[in-house]
Amino acid sequence: MKTRRLTTTLTLALSLAAAHALRAAEEWTKYDAKPGSKVQIDGTSNIHDWRVVGSIIGGFVEVGPGFPTDASMTSVAPGKMQARAQVTIPIRSTRSVNHDGTPYNTKMDEIMYEKLKMETHKSIAFKLSELTLKEVPKKAGDPFLFDAVGEIMAAGETKKVEMPVSLTFPDKDKMKFDCQVTVKMTDFKIEPPAPAIAGGAIKTGDEVKLSLSMMTQKKAAAAK
Amino acid sequence: MGGGVEILAQTEASPPATPPEGAPLRVGVIGLGAWGREIISTLARVPGVEVAAVCDRYPALMRRAVRNATGAAQLEDYRKLLADKSVSGVVVATPTHSHRAIAVEALQAGKHVYCEVPLAGTLEDARAVAQAAAAAGPRQVFQAGLQYRSDDQHVFIYDHFIRTTAIGRVAMVRGQWNKKQSWRATALDPDREREANWRLARATSLGLVGELGIHQLDVASWYLGALPEAVSGFGAIVLWDDGRDVADTVQSVLEYPGRIRMLFSSSLANSFEAETQTFYGADAAILLRGNRAWLFKEADAPHWDWEVHARRETLDKETGIALRADASKLKPTEAGEGPVDLPPLTPPLQAALGAFAANVRLVTGAAEDFVASYGAHDPKGLAEALGQVTRRPAAGYREGYAATVTVIKVEEAISTGQRVEFKKEWFELG
Repeated sequence: MKTRRLTTTLTLALSLAAAHALRAAEEWTKYDAKPGSKVQIDGTSNIHDWRVVGSIIGGFVEVGPGFPTDASMTSVAPGKMQARAQVTIPIRSTRSVNHDGTPYNTKMDEIMYEKLKMETHKSIAFKLSELTLKEVPKKAGDPFLFDAVGEIMAAGETKKVEMPVSLTFPDKDKMKFDCQVTVKMTDFKIEPPAPAIAGGAIKTGDEVKLSLSMMTQKKAAAAK
Repeated sequence: MGGGVEILAQTEASPPATPPEGAPLRVGVIGLGAWGREIISTLARVPGVEVAAVCDRYPALMRRAVRNATGAAQLEDYRKLLADKSVSGVVVATPTHSHRAIAVEALQAGKHVYCEVPLAGTLEDARAVAQAAAAAGPRQVFQAGLQYRSDDQHVFIYDHFIRTTAIGRVAMVRGQWNKKQSWRATALDPDREREANWRLARATSLGLVGELGIHQLDVASWYLGALPEAVSGFGAIVLWDDGRDVADTVQSVLEYPGRIRMLFSSSLANSFEAETQTFYGADAAILLRGNRAWLFKEADAPHWDWEVHARRETLDKETGIALRADASKLKPTEAGEGPVDLPPLTPPLQAALGAFAANVRLVTGAAEDFVASYGAHDPKGLAEALGQVTRRPAAGYREGYAATVTVIKVEEAISTGQRVEFKKEWFELG
């Protein structure tokens, strides 16, 4: 009899724990990547600056309870937020451009793809490990400002980065994350290119600035 | 006239031929006449392309074609080629009057299509091909065989001298294509001989202006940024009076907006000066001859800083600046006198087929990346994304259709001796 009561109690406890876990999971909201994103990589060389752009950012952002999910949630207290994110940028979707946005040079693209080892590592990826809300909007239209910590993976190498992130809400159920981070090619064991087409006369700078503007949309609830 | 300069296009050298990532693009070539076989041998030099199938109804042509396409499937029926899911792209190099059926069915079968020009011999057929290409949507590449649109030299001259108005206001354009040859093919079988000589009959051919002049007429429309408004033409059989009804020597005058006229002449009776095209601007003329080009400046034209680096050549009595698409200030050997000692540029056909392969790869890759990132349920977003893909320069269905309409009407002017005024609706696809 005692054994049966204990079993019943345990079952009840486990059920409650599972229900709690389920409820907690339900409180997380997933935002999938959607079209409307922008990638920009700016670098330097001894003859002129260069720029690479793309318009595809894949992945998701998942936010926990208390995360500001619309512009009106300005009463959220600054501090660590519950958030997960994984971001991928397909390398072949990026292209070198002139500053007016016109295509620059397919040879430059090929060099970039080769340096990023596109054949074996098709994407540049980012994984969020920590997100801290620093500032809520002071007036309408201002962004929520965060500090993010995470890892960038490129050319088979991983580099921990810290960067400011801003969040805006372009439309209902949509969140747009903007961030900029400066990294070094050598952080990813990439030797800055010195293209042979110019007899090695062109030297590329080690530092590059990565700017992302990622559009996401709340994942639609599954049909019942 | 103050001396001419060979135009050396100033972009960096064409990238070396490196095989692209992934599996080769499997292409089928339909129509294995002389031009179809030229396409096959050229495709062998395009990285990342495999000629997977060749198609023609005539075994002798098939045997000749496979010499440069070892391992390619040999098919008599083009529908079998279109049914092969492993073939992504199709090159249509059959006689002009048969393009419509093959190109439309290929597009409907989901193939990327490179269709030789003219797209067709009639407005109705050309419009059907262009409409099918438009209906296929952005996931399929359609390229018209206007190869100069992909040629480094032509693109360079357009970007640096025409679009910038560096040669001043264009006053007129002259083009010619001359080669002494009969165009006649022989065959043991009379029916086969009749089919092989489709270019000699008005019922199936747009003649010299359609089969050859279309490239220069397209360059004129491209460079002038306009379509012709009217055309007068003349034609005669002056040498090859062998029963054909297509003229072996033609002249035409195309009228463009702004009182600009293009004179085009072509003959199968004489080879002098072969293929040339000249744009006459108020400050300079540019002569294009094959893959080479020269700039001839007027004495009162503004001075350009880069002229001191330029190499000059004498052509007949004129000295010109050599223009070339892969020259740059980093190459000190450019300056001086005499012919330029630089490797030949990529031939226009190879550039065009290379652009086709590259654009198929770009579009396919972009579609794959989009679907992998955002899912397959956003066709509008996908179409927008594919519309933003920066493609290699190439003629699409609009350019192919406009050029085809132009030569159809030029040929009409030549064969009737009547001036033809172009109607705007002819150029519209509806």
